[in-house]
Amino acid sequence: MTTLAPVRAPILRLLRSELRWIYRRPRTLILLGLLALYPILFGIGTQVVDAPVRANGDQSVVAAVAGNAMMLPVIVLSTTMVFFLPLGTTMTASDALAGEASHGTLRGLLLAPVSRIRLLAVKAFGVAVVSAGAAVMTALIAFVTGLIIAGPDSLVTFSGTTLPLADGLWRVVVATGWVIVQMWAIGAIALAVSAATEHPLLVMASVIGGLFVFGLLSSIPVLDWLHPFLITESWDSIVDVLRDPMPWENLTTGFLRALCYIVIGYSLALARMVTKDS
Amino acid sequence: MTFAETAGVGTADAVPTPVLAARTRGLRKLYRNTVAVDHVDLDVPEGAVLGMLGPNGSGKTTTIRMMLGLTTPTAGEIELFGARLPEAAQSVLPQVGALVEGPGFHPFLSGRENLLRCAAAEPLLKSAAIPAAVSEALERVGLSDAANRRYRGYSLGMKQRMGLAAALLVPRRFVVLDEPTNGLDPAGTREVRAVIADLHKSGTTVLVSSHLLSEVEATCTHVAVLHQGTVVAQGELKDLLEASNAGLLVSTPEVTAAVDALRDNRIPARAVPDGILVDLAATSAPEVVATLVRADIPVYEVHRQRTGLEDLFAQLTETP
Amino acid sequence: MNTKKTALAVAGAGVLAGVVGLGILAVPAGADEPPPVLPSITAEQLVESVANAKIPALNGKVSAQENLGLPIKVLDGMNSATVWADGQNRFRATVPGRTSERTLVEDGGTLWTWDSQKNTVTKHSHGQQATPENLAGKDPATLGKDLLGLVRQYSDVKVDGTARVATRPAYELVVTPKPTERTLLREVRVAVDSETRLPLRLQVLANGQADPALKVEFTELTVGPQDAKLFQFTPPQGATVKERTDAGKPHNEAEGRKGLQDFVSGLNLQTVGDGWDTTFVAKLPGDLNSMLGQARGDGNGKARDMDVTSLLKSFGKEVSGPYGTGYVFSTKVATALVTTDGRVAVGAVPEQVLVEALGQVK
Repeated sequence: MTTLAPVRAPILRLLRSELRWIYRRPRTLILLGLLALYPILFGIGTQVVDAPVRANGDQSVVAAVAGNAMMLPVIVLSTTMVFFLPLGTTMTASDALAGEASHGTLRGLLLAPVSRIRLLAVKAFGVAVVSAGAAVMTALIAFVTGLIIAGPDSLVTFSGTTLPLADGLWRVVVATGWVIVQMWAIGAIALAVSAATEHPLLVMASVIGGLFVFGLLSSIPVLDWLHPFLITESWDSIVDVLRDPMPWENLTTGFLRALCYIVIGYSLALARMVTKDS
Repeated sequence: MTFAETAGVGTADAVPTPVLAARTRGLRKLYRNTVAVDHVDLDVPEGAVLGMLGPNGSGKTTTIRMMLGLTTPTAGEIELFGARLPEAAQSVLPQVGALVEGPGFHPFLSGRENLLRCAAAEPLLKSAAIPAAVSEALERVGLSDAANRRYRGYSLGMKQRMGLAAALLVPRRFVVLDEPTNGLDPAGTREVRAVIADLHKSGTTVLVSSHLLSEVEATCTHVAVLHQGTVVAQGELKDLLEASNAGLLVSTPEVTAAVDALRDNRIPARAVPDGILVDLAATSAPEVVATLVRADIPVYEVHRQRTGLEDLFAQLTETP
Repeated sequence: MNTKKTALAVAGAGVLAGVVGLGILAVPAGADEPPPVLPSITAEQLVESVANAKIPALNGKVSAQENLGLPIKVLDGMNSATVWADGQNRFRATVPGRTSERTLVEDGGTLWTWDSQKNTVTKHSHGQQATPENLAGKDPATLGKDLLGLVRQYSDVKVDGTARVATRPAYELVVTPKPTERTLLREVRVAVDSETRLPLRLQVLANGQADPALKVEFTELTVGPQDAKLFQFTPPQGATVKERTDAGKPHNEAEGRKGLQDFVSGLNLQTVGDGWDTTFVAKLPGDLNSMLGQARGDGNGKARDMDVTSLLKSFGKEVSGPYGTGYVFSTKVATALVTTDGRVAVGAVPEQVLVEALGQVK
């Protein structure tokens, strides 16, 4: 009988292979394309809508909200974070485990073998990179679009102050980072669901449907005791980066709440991964 | 039931054990309240080509999945190369190639890209060796020409061959093929048999599951027959064939009378197309002939017939 | 198996930690603190010190809640303004909207207001600083005494223990109407910061109500120097700037103000009663229906009258008495009576007191 030493495939190779797989998938690319287009269309749209209003010597609400290089990325992020970014995140997470299981490819990875905990880590990495990449790309395109449309002196906050370019960029970075952490929370929950089923569509339906239900619940005043437990509760506070001085309180609460969701999501995913039959 | 025995194997190198590529003891799997597999004690000797034979639903795939660590057994033990699973998975599974429950690949990637992805996860492959290993595996299963086409457009046979290619990306010590000829045309089936023969020649242990006897008869050195979740027979193919009850084929026009006469004398017999087949387990040929003659049954011809694996299979899995 | 058990244990602990974390985030911090122990103080000393106090440099959050019993929440969306002061009569306040903000900056010579929704700045140069001294023309100590004297005619004023507001220890000053007063109000409580003598919380409590009908309070307060930049304002690029100055007031505005004065005097505004029972009585020009029709800029027919009547009915209660017929609007802190012939009585009193007040006006 020979004694065999455990051998593992290099983790970097696994991560690279995972990313290559994700970014080769047509629907990932379609969604990224839409996300890239959205800020440009949004920026141009505000200008077009605004033109007749400005002709009358007035300013439209849209222009006040999104007509500058500071607000455009934040408003774009705040609108994409309620649907498109969670959609992309959930899509990636649903393909990561449920999708691979339904194609029979999860077996292949487990047989190679990639240990279940390692596999979960690789999948979590893939989901995290996709959501972070999508958010950064969207914010960057929106920031540049805003600068082109309204110029570098247009970084006006809700409070009426005008920020220097570096400050404005810093605010956009904070907003982007914050959105990324929120998306990681969604990704963690989606991966947990993804580990529990072989039907990727079920993951999509339950997570996107769940977010929709959260939205409904948070509008029911009787359930206000429940509201602080909902991940969506602090999503409005992303616009706090547009206030000057910047109130950190709600952003911090939202950040910590997302961290709790991440811990819960990955714990459930881990428990499911080590017990599931593939 | 077999704990003492296995403890001995697990702890001491001093205890002489036959060299086994795989060994299961008391394997049991419950799905909710349904017993899928029970009391499976399977031995796969190293270097053997073991055919796991059983009708659909007999527990072949469940057993294989447990042996590869994909499914957690409800009870029982699994060893691969003498090392316990799932603890030793990381050290033994890299040496095991498998095609379980049909090929699994991504439709939007080409055959080569799919295999590159599989190769990236293979612990025994050096990163630099991956492209060559993939090309070689594609070559081996005859998919080189279709390598850059999307998997989506592959025929059933090509998909099956992709599964085989993935199992053969690395030189393996043990290859597990679950129904490898499913969906293949006769030419494809011959190719798979050639691959198995190649593996056998190079010393690789192979476990092939099939519900087709001809498949097993044609390729295997060993056989294990599963029926309703348990192993009902296992051993070397030739032993099993010899150990199986020989029959006496009696050619006679009065089939019913002959069977009745034998049964009256407690000799089991049954009707077959050319006459009757008598079980010689509890009797001998002269006694059968004497009995028939005493009963005035005309006998044209009598000859011993060794049962084929097909007959054995039918006997073992026949529902009483 | 070991790895699996460890992983499951870690997962279980993780789920627990996450849920507990969410629970901690859900519970508001700093609740249930015992009231602080402070040196005792008389009501006179407290009121005088409040009148003497200067607003220090601070940064805080102010929230207002009402439970007036109106069909619409009048303070909705106003529940979290942030205020800054530099201790030298320069101030900044922001009222956040969901995706907007209104900002007010008093820089010592100019009052700026900014509305991000309208992208509009209003600039009001008043030349000099508006201070309490300027407003009252008296020294604070006298002012405090006079005020207390006035209040004491109709009320009992005392210091009722201590409280903690925005984590700061405070005295609770309670003003209770004398038993002879026929008001709807039970008491008014003001929490005064023990250190800065700044009012930190105002609560108006009505009879028979456990929750304050009106509550304005600091939810957060930090006393200390603030960034000087906060008290400056530069209108942003592209904003509409509207200017107003005390010195060169536009002609038409004076006219406008005169028009308003004419309107008010035309109302024949009178007060009836005193103290907490004070009732304001006025006569609208014309009867109720035509008045409301006018206010809407036209009197086109019955449909409009029907609207007004149904509107009044939905908010108020139809009543009749020695004054004829009319509508009563009741909230927890005040009542208003509008008669069909155009008379109005308003006060922090029950309906009966309004009826009497109407009877006293010829």
